[in-house]
Amino acid sequence: MSLLNPFNKRPGLNTATILLVENEEQFQQSLANVLVEETAVTVNVRLAKTLPLPMKNDESRPRIDLVVFIINLTLDKSVKSAKASLKYLDPGYFLGKVCFMVTNARQALGCTGRLDAVRQLAVSLHCPLLFAEDQTPEGVTSSARRLLTILKVASGLVPNTTALYLSNLTRCAMPPDIDQPSFD
Amino acid sequence: MTLESRWVSQGDLEKLRRREIRYTVARHIVTLPLLRVLTSSEDPLKLRRFLTSSRWFDLLHMDASDNTGSLKEMVETVGQNGGPAAENCSALEGVLPAEMLRIKQQMSNQCFEMAVQLNAGKSKRSCSTSEAERELPNFVSELERVKGVHFNSTLVLHRLQMWHAIGEKMKQAGPDAAVLKTVSDRCMALCSQIKQLQIENRNLQNEITEIQKQRLEIKRLTHEKMKEMEGLMSSKEHPEKYNAVLEKGLANLEKYKKMTIVTQNVLRGILLACKVNWLDDPTLRETVMTLEEFPISE
Repeated sequence: MSLLNPFNKRPGLNTATILLVENEEQFQQSLANVLVEETAVTVNVRLAKTLPLPMKNDESRPRIDLVVFIINLTLDKSVKSAKASLKYLDPGYFLGKVCFMVTNARQALGCTGRLDAVRQLAVSLHCPLLFAEDQTPEGVTSSARRLLTILKVASGLVPNTTALYLSNLTRCAMPPDIDQPSFD
Repeated sequence: MTLESRWVSQGDLEKLRRREIRYTVARHIVTLPLLRVLTSSEDPLKLRRFLTSSRWFDLLHMDASDNTGSLKEMVETVGQNGGPAAENCSALEGVLPAEMLRIKQQMSNQCFEMAVQLNAGKSKRSCSTSEAERELPNFVSELERVKGVHFNSTLVLHRLQMWHAIGEKMKQAGPDAAVLKTVSDRCMALCSQIKQLQIENRNLQNEITEIQKQRLEIKRLTHEKMKEMEGLMSSKEHPEKYNAVLEKGLANLEKYKKMTIVTQNVLRGILLACKVNWLDDPTLRETVMTLEEFPISE
C-alpha cells in the first residue's frame, strides 16, 4: 500500500500532476511557483521531503504523472535520501515517469564521485538526468520549462507520444570511459 | 432537468441551440475513445473496473435527449479528482469545439497508455533471466536503429522546412529575394561540384586500392622466391647433411675396390700357377688385359 502507483487513479481532464521530492525543501518551492503559472494545462504540484507519502492524504491525492527527485550534489544526505525514497515507487513509474534533477553541479566539481554515483543510478533506472541552476530566477524558469515539457508527455497530454516513447530519447547515458556492462 | 429549465427561463433559444450542439459533439467525442478502449481490453482488470464503476460508462448507455446533465456530472466526478468542479462548470460555458477536440485527443492518449499497461501485464510468459539477457541486445539494437531513423527524419524535416521558408521568401520578390536567389544558385553550383569531386574521389580510391592489391601480390611472390634461393644457397655452403652420406658412399667404394683387387689377384695367381695359355683365347686374353689396370695391392 505504501507503493506509489501510476495507474490506480483516474486522470484529470487537461490536468497534469507533478511530485517534487527534495530532502532540503528549498528548490522545490521556487520551482513550484513557476510551474503553476502555466496556463494551457492545469498543473498540480505536490511537494514532499521523502517517500513514502503520508497515508492520510491518499484518497484526496490525484494521480501523479511525474516524480522528480531533486538532488543537491554538495550534500551527501541528499543523494542517500533520494535513493531510499526510490524503493517506495511502483516499478511502473520507471517507464518514463521519473526524472532526476541535480543542483549545484558546479560547486561539486571537486568530488566527482557523487555525480558519477547519481549518473550511474539514472543510467541503471533508464531515467533522464537534468542539471538545474537554482540560484537565479532564469535558472529556475528554464528548469521549470524543461520539466513542463516532460510532464506534458508523461501525463498523456501530448498526442501520439507517451512517457515510454520519450524516455527512449531522454535516457541518460554513461560516458564511454567509465566501465559499464557491455552486451557481449 | 434543472439545467434546461434555467436556459429556457433565460429565453435565449439561439444560445440554447448552440449549447446543445456543443454538448452533443462533446458527448460523441468523449465516448469514442472509451468505446475503443473497452473493445480492446479483454480482462476485468483495473481499467475496466474503473470504467464500469465510473459515470463514464453510464454515458455510453444514455439516450440522445439526456446528454447535458450527464456530461456535467461526468466532468464533476473527474473534477473531484483533478480540479475544482466550479471551475469546470464555468469553463464549459465558453468552451470551443477545438478545445473539445484537444481534450478528446488527450483522453484517447491517456486511455491508450492505460491499455498498453494492461496488455503488458497480460502477456507475461515465464522466461528466465538468461533468455531475456540473450534477447536484450536485439531489442537494444532495434531501439538504436529506430532512434537513428527518427534523428534522420527530424533532420530531413528541418531541411524541408528551411527550404520551404526560403522558397516562400523568394516568392515574395522583395529586396532579399535577389540576394537569396544568388546565394541559392551558388549553393546549387557548389553542391554539384561537390558531387563531381566525390565521384572522382571514389574512382581514384578504387584505383589506389587495385594498385595496392597488385603490390601486395608481387611482394608475396618475391618473398617466396627469396626463400627458395636462400634454401639453395645454404645447402651449397653448408653441405653438412650430405657429408655423412658421402662418407658412407666412399667407404663402400673403398670396400668394393679392395674386393675387386683381391679377386683379380686370385685370378692372376690361378692363371700363373696353372700355366694357362691365355694368349690364344680372345675372351681370356681380354680378361687378363683388364687385370693389368688395377695395380697390385700391397
